[in-house]
Amino acid sequence: MAIVERPQIYEGTHIPSPTPTILDVPAAIRESENLLQVNFGPNHPSTHGVLRLIVDLDGEEVVGLRAVVGYLHTGFEKNMELKTWWKAITYAPRIDYVSFQNNELVFVLAAEKLLAMEVPEKASLARTLFCELNRIHSHLVWLGTAALELGAISVFWYAFRERDLVLDLFELVGGTRLHTRYFQVGGLAEDIPEGFYPECRKFVEWMPKAINDYERLLTRNEIWLERTEGIGLLSADDAIALAQSGPVLRASGVDWDLRKASPYLSYGEMDFDVPVFDNGDVYDRYRVHMEEMRQSVRIIEQCCDRLEQMEGEPWITDDRKVVLPPREELHTSMESLIHHFKLVTEGFLVPEGEVYVAVESPRGELGCYVVSDGGPRPWRVKFRAPSLVALEATATLMRNALVADLIAIVGSLDTVMGEVDR
Amino acid sequence: MWKGKGPGVFEEELGNLEQKLLLTTVEKAVAWAQGYSIWPATFGLACCAIEMMSIVTSRYDSARFGAEVFRSTPRQADLLIVSGRVAHKMAAPLRQIYDQMLEPKWVIAMGACASSGGMFNNYAVLQGVDKITPVDIHVPGCPPRPEALLEGIVRLQEKIHAGVPPAYEIRGVAT
Amino acid sequence: MTFEGVPGLVERKDEHDETTLVVDPARLVEACLHLRDVEGFRFLADITATDYLGWGARGVAGYYGTAAGRDLNLPGGLGAAAGSQGHARVPRPKAKRFSMNYHLLALRDGAPRVRVQVWLDDGEPVPTVIPVWPTADWHEREVWDLMGIHVEGHPNLQRILMDEDWEGHPLRKDYPIGGEPVRFSGEE
Repeated sequence: MAIVERPQIYEGTHIPSPTPTILDVPAAIRESENLLQVNFGPNHPSTHGVLRLIVDLDGEEVVGLRAVVGYLHTGFEKNMELKTWWKAITYAPRIDYVSFQNNELVFVLAAEKLLAMEVPEKASLARTLFCELNRIHSHLVWLGTAALELGAISVFWYAFRERDLVLDLFELVGGTRLHTRYFQVGGLAEDIPEGFYPECRKFVEWMPKAINDYERLLTRNEIWLERTEGIGLLSADDAIALAQSGPVLRASGVDWDLRKASPYLSYGEMDFDVPVFDNGDVYDRYRVHMEEMRQSVRIIEQCCDRLEQMEGEPWITDDRKVVLPPREELHTSMESLIHHFKLVTEGFLVPEGEVYVAVESPRGELGCYVVSDGGPRPWRVKFRAPSLVALEATATLMRNALVADLIAIVGSLDTVMGEVDR
Repeated sequence: MWKGKGPGVFEEELGNLEQKLLLTTVEKAVAWAQGYSIWPATFGLACCAIEMMSIVTSRYDSARFGAEVFRSTPRQADLLIVSGRVAHKMAAPLRQIYDQMLEPKWVIAMGACASSGGMFNNYAVLQGVDKITPVDIHVPGCPPRPEALLEGIVRLQEKIHAGVPPAYEIRGVAT
Repeated sequence: MTFEGVPGLVERKDEHDETTLVVDPARLVEACLHLRDVEGFRFLADITATDYLGWGARGVAGYYGTAAGRDLNLPGGLGAAAGSQGHARVPRPKAKRFSMNYHLLALRDGAPRVRVQVWLDDGEPVPTVIPVWPTADWHEREVWDLMGIHVEGHPNLQRILMDEDWEGHPLRKDYPIGGEPVRFSGEE
């Protein structure tokens, strides 16, 4: 089997060779006495989870870098192969545990694609609403922790105060703050309860003021600018070659958002902008996150407006081969009873085939590749995690970085180790 | 913690123990001080870590229970809150962190995954952190609410005030 | 898009609104270079391997959850459009044990996607596509780690998710689920 010689991708790339994900110490200083190998071990205070970076330092400068992952490998994919499609949805939110419903969404969309199933409009709008709430939740957690690591400790408390408001909304519909498992194949698990829309509107009114607060604290703050401007540069071509997506890609000047390029759910009908900045540094990634929060609030408001008109409409498809019949019918209809029995014991069957579905999670392109053998259980499930790909870029971003910048750069990539390791 | 909640089985047993275990006033004073100033170590692994972060925030505020700051270095921490699923690869670093803590030290297994492996009964996840460290309090939930974790911390405080020794002494294991 | 000029193309499948190009493993890198440079698929979204050991060992019965699945007039055929009408069916057999899937995306309006698929037997290696897309690095390491498919030419083929001294490739179908035995759970 012929092995192709390594062609340069293009002139001027900063991606290291031969291994794109390892920054090797230059031969000139390899024997130097100043070289110090430090382990930013799996347990470290910046709360990105269990990432291990083995860093070679020449004084303060980072000259060598290697990332070791796998400290949170949970075996999701193998577990999901053993459960029915319905039960496997429960595993999904724990993969990217900060924007949890995006994982549920992508898995459910994949199953629905194989089933060629139409979802009622109310469910589609509600899914859009909750995905945007998840985006705000994820960006708030990111903002709190990233600012905490760079020393802006008070932002952590403000961001988490709003995060609690978002979680209150989740608790209202799903019963639990995190991992609500609210999405079901065919629509939503339950109807949106009474009292949700006034609470949602209160949140929508309050949130832009909160975002203004954060921007007042950080955006023109001299220390923040010094620590984030010009750090961790990533060119647009490098970003595409490294398959970056989401805020990292948009901060490098590439106008790419799956919600606009190939709209799914109800994004095609929503009016919102996608922030794109040019410099590709940590500061621009911060600005992309803040703008995205504002745009998410706009989308939530539009969804709320339309959902309020849809009281009483179905929230899940009525295909009884896949969805449980309403409980009242079980008393009178024999077919409903049989459907209920088959769905609860064996589970619904999904036709044979393989699909890949991708959504725009707060971190980028979250994809789910599903292979079905026509049975009640998935044959293979693979989640394409944007954080894994983002960590591949660490070696490229750390060129000429100082130790203090290392924390800022890893923070700006917005990685969640749960989805890196799955 | 709740108004109108009378002493349950747990509290009564602790009350009985207090008569037997804490004999001297000095011991009682030391236990009072230890219980009301437990400083946790930052050991967030997965989803439970996000809920653990929220107990520091203003709505739940663990500082009023004495858990003032989360220390990043285990050498200055008293409490290890194992929050999240423990992969086999992470088991060795976890034990190392536990070993670096100074006595007396306590461990809270937060969530279903830390207590027993949770929903992940497979090749990759350690089925409960009590397989490698002695655990004082298990907090159930997936993830437990911040109030549940605070209840776990409060019960740990009650245990300490009652004079119950930390788990490594009860189980007679090396620390 | 016609994809006729892709070197090493064996078969093209269009199902569920997706295009899959089955390619000869010996000419994989050429095909990828063609797709990247000529067709414009600059974004490698994902590399996944699937193990088809035991595929079709149990027939699956019942109606599919589509309206067509319940139509008694449609003969039991292939794909999602036909239903089984209650009879046990066996999925279409696969030629080899492993499939490596490369999911590509072109950054244009409409987000065109294509899947490049390569079929391998146990022990057959596959060439690395790092020269084409550098992001393939960790994906290929994961495929080696969890599925045991050797990637030739990879500069750093180490385990990435499991411990370095782990034995076995966990996501293979003949690898047990592990964990603690639980009574009556039916999983081993």
